[in-house]
Amino acid sequence: MSFDSRSATIVALAAAGVLAAALLEESALAVYVLLALTATVTVGVSLLMGHAGQVSLGHGAFYACGAYAAGVLSTHGCPTWLGLLSAPFAAAAVATIVGVPLLILRGHHLAFATLALHLIFLSLISELSITGGDVGLQGIPRLSLAGITLTSVRSYAYLSCTALLLVVVVAQNILSSRPGRALRALSSSEVAAASSGVAVGYYKLAMFALSASFAGLAGGVYAFYMGYLSPGSFPVMLSIEYIVMAAVGGLGKVSGAVLGSALVFLLVHGLSRVATASGMPSTAPIILSYAVYALLLVSAVLFLPSGLVGLAARAAARVRARARARHSNGGQAETPLAAGPDQPAAPEQVASKHGSFS
Amino acid sequence: MSAFLSYLIHGISLGCGFALVASGIIIIYRVTRVVNLAQGMFAVVAGFSAASLLDIGLPHVLAESVAIGAAAAVGVLTGYVAVGKRGTNPQASLIVTLGVGIFCYAFEVLIWGDQPRSFAGLAGSYEFFGVDVPKQYLLVTPITVLVFVALELFFERTYAGKAMTACASNPYAAALQGIGVLRMSLYGFGLGGALGGVAGVLLTPLHPISYDSDVSLFVNGFAAAILAGLKRPVLALAGGLLLGVAESMVAGYSKASYQSALALLLTLAILLVQAMRRETLHAVEES
Repeated sequence: MSFDSRSATIVALAAAGVLAAALLEESALAVYVLLALTATVTVGVSLLMGHAGQVSLGHGAFYACGAYAAGVLSTHGCPTWLGLLSAPFAAAAVATIVGVPLLILRGHHLAFATLALHLIFLSLISELSITGGDVGLQGIPRLSLAGITLTSVRSYAYLSCTALLLVVVVAQNILSSRPGRALRALSSSEVAAASSGVAVGYYKLAMFALSASFAGLAGGVYAFYMGYLSPGSFPVMLSIEYIVMAAVGGLGKVSGAVLGSALVFLLVHGLSRVATASGMPSTAPIILSYAVYALLLVSAVLFLPSGLVGLAARAAARVRARARARHSNGGQAETPLAAGPDQPAAPEQVASKHGSFS
Repeated sequence: MSAFLSYLIHGISLGCGFALVASGIIIIYRVTRVVNLAQGMFAVVAGFSAASLLDIGLPHVLAESVAIGAAAAVGVLTGYVAVGKRGTNPQASLIVTLGVGIFCYAFEVLIWGDQPRSFAGLAGSYEFFGVDVPKQYLLVTPITVLVFVALELFFERTYAGKAMTACASNPYAAALQGIGVLRMSLYGFGLGGALGGVAGVLLTPLHPISYDSDVSLFVNGFAAAILAGLKRPVLALAGGLLLGVAESMVAGYSKASYQSALALLLTLAILLVQAMRRETLHAVEES
């Protein structure tokens, strides 16, 4: 992706986000806030899975970690802005500490270890008295920034939109710089990357901590938005939802993470609206949401390994190639998937490198 | 003393259940290199099915057998989705089994609702050294031992068992010998489903299960499988018993909510030690 199309993506996202936050009704804004926060976490999960080649079934724990860090600090007299600021750092610190031993593990061992991490974190916060135990943490004050207290849902919509944009900008910049190339190298072969001078262990840990800090930031906003936290707000299913969204959008692609989380979130939300209509059994919403998440996950992994963004890129490349062929009147010099200036490699190749679960 | 004895008996029964789940994970892993995240779900399906079949008046034994059969069928279906498509790598299959497990949540809630269910196992209890031991606890251990003996015989004596072992050690060579690797993978998933089912029907009378009980069943089963080095099902029996007794003691003498955290930490520690020992080997394998 060239610099121009990258900043175009960000500007488009910012415009859409701000417009939606300004124009939506109050009732829709609640969905908007949660959607933006979910997308913020998913960007990190997608980068981690797509570029560092790690499956994390525990990102919900980092989300919870940020939320509790913000909540505990601000209920104990800290200024709320400091609570929000500490959320990503707390999550990144936890990720660094547990990441040093855990990232020795690979594949299914790492998947299990991150799942275990989530479960241990849940039992920890339901035992500690400082986090309020099973009852939860109540009375978190509203966020105050520079003397303004954010009370309306709309102000939290702007805040969550800002968090998402911040995360997208950071992610885009990292991917297009030296660390991004190093990560791409190590996701296809750690041995080859290490022998080309990439500090594999360092980059994996840094990526793990960075994606945790994205989740922590989203968690911090969530804490002030809800004003109440309990272990029940962070079920294991939450960690899995992020993976579904990242896989549907296309692993390793920032735009894919945002698109995937928006589509999946809105689909599940829309269906649960239908399911809560009168005449439906009380269990209908959970049945539908489980079924949708499961079907999307399985079909994305099996049939769409590069996600919706990969599909779109392939279609666009095909259209361009056809147009070019027509332009040069059936010239044979052009291969159908020729690498253009903003298409560094054929999409299939990209997909097989860091779009799949290898 | 009597408290210790009752914790021990409870722990052994619990450990047998973990071992059954673990042996299913190991068998599937050996043949397909896939860690089946839906393994706990098989036990839940069997437990729920047995409860429903008993409700409609089927006698014991028959109801449980049908439930185990249902779990085996679900196992084969899971396998078909997870490894049936050509060129699916184990990590993608791992995520697919996760998806299948969640899909079954929807299915289970649809059929059985979201409340915990149970059914009555063997009624009555015996008395040992002043401890009342429900008969169901005493049923769990012998059945588990029988199942493990049958498994050993299956892998040592039958053609299908040997063919599965061949696929486990080298799928390419096995295919050259005319063994259908996909078929053996599906057998593996079916057998794993049945083993999960046995765990489900044995444990449900002891603890009511709900649709999301599969997380703790999987976590403990995988822990036992890791203790066994993911190699031989029989070793999982030792791993499961160790884990079950340790958890039961922690729950008895300390706090019940610590038991699963302890099992998880123990498993993580073992995983890390194993990984550090084999790190260079893995790196070579992967390239």
